[in-house]
Amino acid sequence: MTDWDPSKPILEIENLSISFFTRLREIPAVMDFSCTVMPGEAMGLVGESGCGKSTVALAVMRDLGKTGRITGGAIKFKGRDLTTMTEEELRHIRGSEIAMIYQEPMASLNPAMRIGEQLAEVPIIHQNMPRAEALALARQIIADVRLPDPDRILRAYPHQLSGGQQQRIVIAMALMAKPALLILDEPTTALDVTVEAGIVDLVKELGAKYGTSMLFISHNLGLILDVCDRLCVMYSGEAVETGNVREVFDKMRHPYTQALFRSIPLPGADKNSSPLIAIPGNFPLPHERPKGCNFGPRCDYFRDGLCNARDIPMDAVTDHDRHATRCLRWTEIDWNAPAKVGKITEKLPPGRLVLKMEDLKKYYAVSSGAFGGGAAKVVKANESLTFEAHENETLAIVGESGCGKSTFAKVLMGLETATSGSIMLFDENVQDTPIQARNTDTVSKLQMVFQNPFDTLNPSMTVGRQIIRALEIFQKGNSDAEREAMMLNLLDMVKLPRAFAERMPRQLSGGQKQRVGIARAFAGGAKVVVADEPVSALDVSVQAAVTDLLMDIQRENHTTLLFISHDLSIVRYLSDRVMVMYLGHVVELGSTDQVFAPPYHPYTEALLSAVPIADTRVQKRRIVLEGDIPSAMNPPPGCPFQTRCRWKSQVPGQLCETVLPPVQVLAGGHQIKCHLSAEQLARMEPVITIAAE
Amino acid sequence: MEPLSWPMIFAKMVVQFWPVWAALIVTVALSLHFRRRLGLYGKLFDSTVGLLGFVIVMFWVFTALFADLIITFDPIAQISQMKNVSPGTPVPGSDQWYLLGGDHLARDVFSRVVMGARRVLTIAPAATVIAFMVGITLGLPAGYFGGKLDTGLSFIANLVLAFPVILLFYLLVTPEIRQTGVPVVLAAVLFLFPVIFVSVLLNSRYFTNPARRNLYVGAALAVGLWAYSGLAFNADPTGIWSMDPNLLNVFVSVVFVNAPTVFRIVRGIVMDLKSRDYVAAGQTRGEGPWYIMLWEILPNARGPLIVDFCLRIGYTTILLGTLGFFGLGVSPESPDWGSTIDDGRKLLSIYPHPAVVPALALMSLVLGLNLLADGLREESMRD
Ligand SMILES: Nc1ncnc2c1ncn2[C@@H]1O[C@H](COP(=O)(O)OP(=O)(O)OP(=O)(O)O)[C@@H](O)[C@H]1O
Ligand code: SF4
Ligand code: SF4
Ligand SMILES: [Mg+2]
Repeated sequence: MTDWDPSKPILEIENLSISFFTRLREIPAVMDFSCTVMPGEAMGLVGESGCGKSTVALAVMRDLGKTGRITGGAIKFKGRDLTTMTEEELRHIRGSEIAMIYQEPMASLNPAMRIGEQLAEVPIIHQNMPRAEALALARQIIADVRLPDPDRILRAYPHQLSGGQQQRIVIAMALMAKPALLILDEPTTALDVTVEAGIVDLVKELGAKYGTSMLFISHNLGLILDVCDRLCVMYSGEAVETGNVREVFDKMRHPYTQALFRSIPLPGADKNSSPLIAIPGNFPLPHERPKGCNFGPRCDYFRDGLCNARDIPMDAVTDHDRHATRCLRWTEIDWNAPAKVGKITEKLPPGRLVLKMEDLKKYYAVSSGAFGGGAAKVVKANESLTFEAHENETLAIVGESGCGKSTFAKVLMGLETATSGSIMLFDENVQDTPIQARNTDTVSKLQMVFQNPFDTLNPSMTVGRQIIRALEIFQKGNSDAEREAMMLNLLDMVKLPRAFAERMPRQLSGGQKQRVGIARAFAGGAKVVVADEPVSALDVSVQAAVTDLLMDIQRENHTTLLFISHDLSIVRYLSDRVMVMYLGHVVELGSTDQVFAPPYHPYTEALLSAVPIADTRVQKRRIVLEGDIPSAMNPPPGCPFQTRCRWKSQVPGQLCETVLPPVQVLAGGHQIKCHLSAEQLARMEPVITIAAE
Repeated sequence: MEPLSWPMIFAKMVVQFWPVWAALIVTVALSLHFRRRLGLYGKLFDSTVGLLGFVIVMFWVFTALFADLIITFDPIAQISQMKNVSPGTPVPGSDQWYLLGGDHLARDVFSRVVMGARRVLTIAPAATVIAFMVGITLGLPAGYFGGKLDTGLSFIANLVLAFPVILLFYLLVTPEIRQTGVPVVLAAVLFLFPVIFVSVLLNSRYFTNPARRNLYVGAALAVGLWAYSGLAFNADPTGIWSMDPNLLNVFVSVVFVNAPTVFRIVRGIVMDLKSRDYVAAGQTRGEGPWYIMLWEILPNARGPLIVDFCLRIGYTTILLGTLGFFGLGVSPESPDWGSTIDDGRKLLSIYPHPAVVPALALMSLVLGLNLLADGLREESMRD
């Protein structure tokens, strides 16, 4: 490695093509992909799922599995071609010069080995470092990734750590060998936003400290803006645009990049006055790509005879910093033309009261002993929830994992009964009525849309059959023929072709499955719909379409939508009121404007600051929360948020540590559960400011 | 006529099996042609192992089906001079040979093995099907509801599994135990499960439409209870459903020892699948637990269950063979492979063929089933 000149690129991928060979066909996963990473540079790789991001990363690691093969091009690492290296040479480079961090931290950790041993193993194997020295290094690196109490962590087993801590350990492990290139494949997707923010900060800081180059893969444009210097946008196996992050964000020169930015909810988007613009159509499968431009069938600027005539090369954008685009018409397109405005709709006024929860509590009794013995512990999954929801209204329920959102949904749906408190649904008290005892009418009026599109439909039943089953159980229609017709109408309503009735769920894309899930929920004319993260597992370009669909149906049916989500951008876009939950408590409740502007609850403030926003105009105050969410089994005394709150010191006495704060009602019915005085709250500054252009 | 040489014997046998070859060719050709549309079954043809297993199994299935066309002699007829004759000996007074020789009662080994396939391939799959229905009907609620029900059922299952199988068989077929009526009670209990299974299956699906439900469930109950009365109590007035008491014993014992394993498999899969969103979707629209278990969960558990089904038929076949070998259960005249091996055993050192031929048949069938199961497992895990 001595003959490598540090002013040369550390990683140079040239016209890389990768295929997977399955029994049926060759799947060209990546075609003609090029990119260059300079020393110390962080390169972002964005694109929707299935576009080939991870394949590129695995190719750099030369870890494509049995079926994957590099069919063309070169990957040069410090000037040496990785594609022609022997296994022996690769083994030397992997882990010591190039390290990779995966999405799922446990995949990289050995569950049966103590953290210290696992970390020390790296330099012992790669550099023949003596054991004691390696352990000392491990301790230092653990402190570097800002884990508290390094000595305890060194002795712990992976399962004794939280998800965020595990991911920090994986990063520490990657750093043990002081690699020159770090590949991060969606390193924070499995984590909560506040934990994600901490990890992202850590990655940036370590990159600067060690001068490590990074290949950072993500589907989240906001994160890329936070972390990277340069980015490469991928679409269907190709790089379509590459360049400096700010330049690509502000002066994109590829229609796909533009469409992508128009389909994500940035500050300023509003469901009524400036709705998102979904990208029409679906992502092509690798073996079904069109001739010419892959984006052609979905592109607004498509020109027949030009765009579909031949393969399209990368073209350098003049006057820009190493900016290139794979579009033939980039010089002709007016990039400053405003987007066609979608249909503008009137905001519907909230109607009558349909749902009222009062002081709802849900506790679970769990026994701690391995044999059912031991003291029975109580998990307080929901603590005194009080709120109302009206017709036509979208109420967002926001919070990180374990805050009790799903428990709340279960109690409302009747899958669990409440420990105490009351739920008024229409004019009925349902808190003690399990779903089996509710009448068909109540059940069909209150339905749910689920999170995971791959799980929401029964894989062994046709789409039509599943919707018809819902109609049957809700006692809709008098004959099979009538129900068949109703099913087809429901498919129309969710904008799916009628032919889909005969399909099996595996033949549908994620967004299409989610539409079927929505059709099924509305089969009985639902009036209240609980949507548990309905779009979080979908690609950004389809998220907008599914969100729009939900809004449309809501407007038509005057539905009350309870939108459970951890994604504050989408919440700001579509909800009328927001309820923020932390450890089973509602910490803040108010209209969207109230919640997204000061005064905030200290937790909301941190949450807002943690959300990555893909907009170069936005300036954020950085508030990184220390530590993880406490376990609901063992919540802190006093205020649930006191272990991480940065405002705690402003409250006199030991109030935060000892007394559960009361709900303060501020102007306009805005509720905040905090000991801070009204004056202190009023002095809070906005987290997000949009710089004037 | 001259005795046949070995090549001639094989040639004659190949000719004799012509309906099987024809059926095999048609099946494989059609399946290969439509394999992309046939789901897991179609994928089987992509795996050499699976294809080989499938062909072997289908060979015996078609042999069982066309046994009447294949046999050269009545499998229980005794032709006096033919006692223990070696393979290829001509039969006096006819233009035929004992292709694989004669046994100690001067019967044609070839025809007996062919007819035996019919016996083996009815009892083993039927017993396995019943065992599956018992295991599924109990495993679903155990996995779905959990709690005390699960603890209780799992305990019973483990108890049965912990009991030595052969001892259990000996007990169940000893005359003293039989006189106490234990096997009949066991049959009465075990045969009830298929009836329950089918009725609950149809009821949970069609209860929203009472007229249709009554028709389907009524029909299922009528047929089911009719068969039940005949098989479990030998009380079918028409006599269509009946089972030889010896056979009943063996059958019940086989079901009894197989059901707990199926129970455990089903229970495990249900515990995994019940946290899926489509199960929650069923619950939130007010579906009953049996609909969810039978229509939402069970179809998605089919992969591992089909694989186990193949393996279990093989296992049951061996078990039945073992039982036959110990002279348990089946009538002495029966050409089933296990008892034929046992008959041939006494003279094994002098006349090996009467025992070796059914032994080879048994081996190949079990091998085929195992290969088939391997192929299915491999293919169901891909893509
Ligand atoms: N059946 C149960 N028994 C015991 N504890 C439970 C049970 N269900 C939920 N909990 C606990 O209640 C708390 C709230 O869980 P819940 O599933 O509602 O969180 P969530 O906000 O939906 O999380 P995520 O976003 O990860 O789905 C958690 O600490 C969880 O461990
Ligand atoms: S090449 Fe044509 S179809 Fe492709 S992105 Fe450019 S304008 Fe659109
Ligand atoms: S009550 Fe105290 S600890 Fe809780 S959020 Fe307010 S200031 Fe922070
Ligand atoms: Mg949840």
